[in-house]
Amino acid sequence: MHSKLLYWKGCMSRLRTTKIANATEDLLRRMEIDYETLGDDEGCCGSVLLRTGQVEDAKRVAGRTVKMIRSKGYTEVVTSCPGCFRTMSEEYKKAFGYVPFRVRHISQLLYENREGLRVHLRPWKVKVTYHDPCHLGRHMGIYEEPRALISMVPGVELVEFKYNRKLAVCCGSGGGVHSAFPEIALAVAKAVVNDRPPGVEIIVTSCPFCNYNLKEAGSAEIIDLPEFLIRAWRD
Amino acid sequence: MVEPGWYVSKRNEIDTWINDENRRKGLNRAVAAYTTAKESALSRLKSLEETRKEVRKIKENSMESLQELVKEAMENIEEVNGHAYLAKDTKEARRVFSTLVGEGKLVVKSKSLVSEEIDLNKLLEKLGNKVYETDLGEFIIQLRNEKPTHILNPSVHIPKEEVAKTFSKLLGREIEADIPTLVGIAREYLRDKFCNADVGITGANVIAANTGTMFIIENEGNARFVSNAPPMHICITGVEKVVPTLSDAFKVVQVLPPYATGVLMSAYVSMITSPSRTADIEKTLVYGAHGPKELHVVFLDNGRIEMLKDPIFREALYCLRCGGCMYECPVYRVIGGSFGHNYFGGIGIIWSAFTSGEETVAAAIDACTKCGRCLEVCPVDIDTPKMVEKLKERLIRKGYISPKHKAIRKSILEKGNPFGE
Repeated sequence: MHSKLLYWKGCMSRLRTTKIANATEDLLRRMEIDYETLGDDEGCCGSVLLRTGQVEDAKRVAGRTVKMIRSKGYTEVVTSCPGCFRTMSEEYKKAFGYVPFRVRHISQLLYENREGLRVHLRPWKVKVTYHDPCHLGRHMGIYEEPRALISMVPGVELVEFKYNRKLAVCCGSGGGVHSAFPEIALAVAKAVVNDRPPGVEIIVTSCPFCNYNLKEAGSAEIIDLPEFLIRAWRD
Repeated sequence: MVEPGWYVSKRNEIDTWINDENRRKGLNRAVAAYTTAKESALSRLKSLEETRKEVRKIKENSMESLQELVKEAMENIEEVNGHAYLAKDTKEARRVFSTLVGEGKLVVKSKSLVSEEIDLNKLLEKLGNKVYETDLGEFIIQLRNEKPTHILNPSVHIPKEEVAKTFSKLLGREIEADIPTLVGIAREYLRDKFCNADVGITGANVIAANTGTMFIIENEGNARFVSNAPPMHICITGVEKVVPTLSDAFKVVQVLPPYATGVLMSAYVSMITSPSRTADIEKTLVYGAHGPKELHVVFLDNGRIEMLKDPIFREALYCLRCGGCMYECPVYRVIGGSFGHNYFGGIGIIWSAFTSGEETVAAAIDACTKCGRCLEVCPVDIDTPKMVEKLKERLIRKGYISPKHKAIRKSILEKGNPFGE
């Protein structure tokens, strides 16, 4: 049986940070990786409900999502959002015991296909840093794949935040803080952006929630990993 | 969207913090100083990594038989002429203090978070006593009539310029915003209070059950004065501070200072087992030599045994109160003392819920991003984010939900996304 790949955009990239979803689709097409999306049928992974303590509702929503993905025959799921990634791969297992599809974050899929990507990257002299999203790094242990992909661009200088990987500082929007106390999310985001290493032109991150929140802080360019790779693509 | 009262008051408190430049300035300076000092201390203390893991084990084991350990500690204190009390709640603890201190006394205190829990200063003042906080930070807070905002550095949010204003007001003359000068003023001002006090009140960082010995760790030297100069010393401590043996307690003493203030060891560690005593004349034991004649130790439960019995929240009792996670928390760094109630940060949310009631943190809990950084920096690996999620779940079941999260729920259930689109 042909294993079908589902690109799960997640609510944020579907409706707010749409540049991330567009860049991701563009990149997958350019890399000739077959995928499908659920379009307007894509629902909710349950992460937001889960992190705001609404566990029973999260389970209901997650149950629906699992059923839908399975009914369409997808065996592989790739997400833009580390929140979706963590919830679908870790929490679904806890809630339902078994998940009938494999879930990966986009950085993992791209890393696996990096040789096909490498040949298309043009030299780009730019100084960037990488912001570790909490759900991707600390909670799922994915630190190196995004960095390796960024470093594949010839001429790129990747410098680190003073606190990175396990000790990376949260962007301030996680766990429902952005909705409950937007003023806190903004103040934390400003602190993170201001702490970027000197001379950095671009902060690359790999989470639509970080992306959205850090952008609100202004004063530095914030882009998602696939957006960065599209920009480095040799036309 | 109507916000319930418990939400509005916390939001206002948070906004005050975010918009107060002075507080942010004080906090930023403290965070920078702390992180630099701690990194240096941790790199120099090679055995610390091993010791902190041993302490985690000690705390796990202590909790297995905590109530017996407390009993053992109390018996050992009584055996050497001390007095020990087990206070079930704040009311019982306050009753003990009312009886012991009485009225019209001069009271000196060294820093004790547990005493804040029972609102001790207000009680003693209401009874007609004069109370002086002697830890510099607490002294500043007391003069300004504010609440502590960090468990170790209660005045962390007040920059030197503001301290100078407070001291100028106290002495009725202009005081320069120079930190050594400010420290000198507190020293001069408090010196005779120590010597003339009727009662000295301290907390304790750890207590060894097998001897009943309390350990008080400090840098200023005020706790030594407070516990030694007055004729009566009262210690108030949480029951969770008890560990089985003196050796266990020494392990805790090795871990606390580097994580708390970034020093290899604190300036002073006092070990106190009984009232002062002598048998120098005819080998006849007399209590009350140069130190206190009376020693009283109040062990406070106030929700701790409930935590102990809960398989998820028991872990919060392992907390050594180093306060490191607070300086390392991105949210505490911007909203300081409004992130919690009587205890602060993620772990403080849990502690406040059990010792002051869940409603006190029903709104503040929504300030936690559950990012997990506190777990990474905790010397005893406390999984605070997990507990915060569990407490949040419990609060939701009891109907404490932010109006925004309620709207998000509705939107997700009806439209499959949180944005109402």
